[in-house]
Amino acid sequence: MNDLTIIITLIAIGYIAGTWAEKRHYRSIEKREREFLDLPTVSIKNVNIDDAKVKKAEIVYGGAVISVDYFKRILAGLRNIFGGAVKSYESLIDRARREALLRMKAMAPDATMIINVRIETSTIGRKSHKKSVACLEAFAYGTAIYLEE
Amino acid sequence: MKYTARMPETNVNVTPTSPLREFFVLLSGVIAIIVGIYLLLGLALNIIVPRIPMTFERKMAGPFINSMASVDRSSEKAQTVQKLLDVIQGRYAKLPYTFTVYLQESPRVNAVALPGGNIVVFSGLLEKVESENELAFILAHEMGHYVNRDHLKGLGRVLVFIMISAVLLGPDSSVGNLLAQSLNITEMAFSRNQETLADEFALNALHSTYGHVGGSADFFIKLSKEVNAGLGGHYFSTHPENLKRIAHLKNYSRIHGFAEKLLRNIPAIINKKRPA
Repeated sequence: MNDLTIIITLIAIGYIAGTWAEKRHYRSIEKREREFLDLPTVSIKNVNIDDAKVKKAEIVYGGAVISVDYFKRILAGLRNIFGGAVKSYESLIDRARREALLRMKAMAPDATMIINVRIETSTIGRKSHKKSVACLEAFAYGTAIYLEE
Repeated sequence: MKYTARMPETNVNVTPTSPLREFFVLLSGVIAIIVGIYLLLGLALNIIVPRIPMTFERKMAGPFINSMASVDRSSEKAQTVQKLLDVIQGRYAKLPYTFTVYLQESPRVNAVALPGGNIVVFSGLLEKVESENELAFILAHEMGHYVNRDHLKGLGRVLVFIMISAVLLGPDSSVGNLLAQSLNITEMAFSRNQETLADEFALNALHSTYGHVGGSADFFIKLSKEVNAGLGGHYFSTHPENLKRIAHLKNYSRIHGFAEKLLRNIPAIINKKRPA
């Protein structure tokens, strides 16, 4: 009896806490994205600007680690049997990437623009034995450019 | 082109979906697959079991008997039950089995048919029986399971269950053990139809042995009173509800003209409790 109760409790906690945390995180992401709306962030390598005008150029980066909740993990496990889009992980990756970008921007709030932006993802905390919970890390980096006024 | 910064209107990277609905749809899919496998393997058992040779069944029986601690086949009590069984076997259509009776100290009011003609009788049952005819009926009922080799089918079903549970939940999962216990899987193994056929076999055997079928329903009458007393105890049991079963016994006897006459006393040793 104990095992089943524990599993059901974990799933319930995972669902309730996970949903609450996700909603809260999205609200925060959207709020900060609005604040940084005027900071252009692009993936192009070269911009057509006279070198003399560039006051400063520096690397900026931001990382975010988001963990799967238990409910999402079980849901993804069930999805693994039948195949198809693992919808329960989509929001996770989306949140991690956007959070990483936001933290990168937070490193250079006064920059004119950030160019050559790249995003990398990796899983951490995932061991060879299956029982450990996987976390997702998104890492964003780019070059912040400050122009002379 | 003038660049105007604005927030995206929709998030294309996250599918708007109800995760709870997805969860239950997928879960019921998995359960449906498991039930399907269980039923399919159950059907396969019905095909395989009649083809298992007797020599192989005898080999299968070894581990069962060895794993049962505190079984007793040499005491006077066990010998008395064995003798009764041999009489029934001798008087009625012989089965290709050498039946061996094992007694086990246990409060369970039951007897179990194991592979290779090994019948385990629990001491709780022996304390309850009141006549030789009653005990003979129970023994003949267990023998009846060997006619259709129900015991092998039941065993196969238990194996299938353990296999599925091990694959899905791991070899030593307490969820699996819990399921097995709550389903009382070993006792559930026989279907109602199998029980009814075994009952009919037992009636015929009783008639051949004693010339009448008195005492055949006694055990179930006793059991039905107890079931009413202890609620839920037999909830999972597939034994047809005892009242229906008694009715069927009476009906079958009437159709075949089996009479009920005086019962034989049970040998005193049978009811005796083992000194503590």
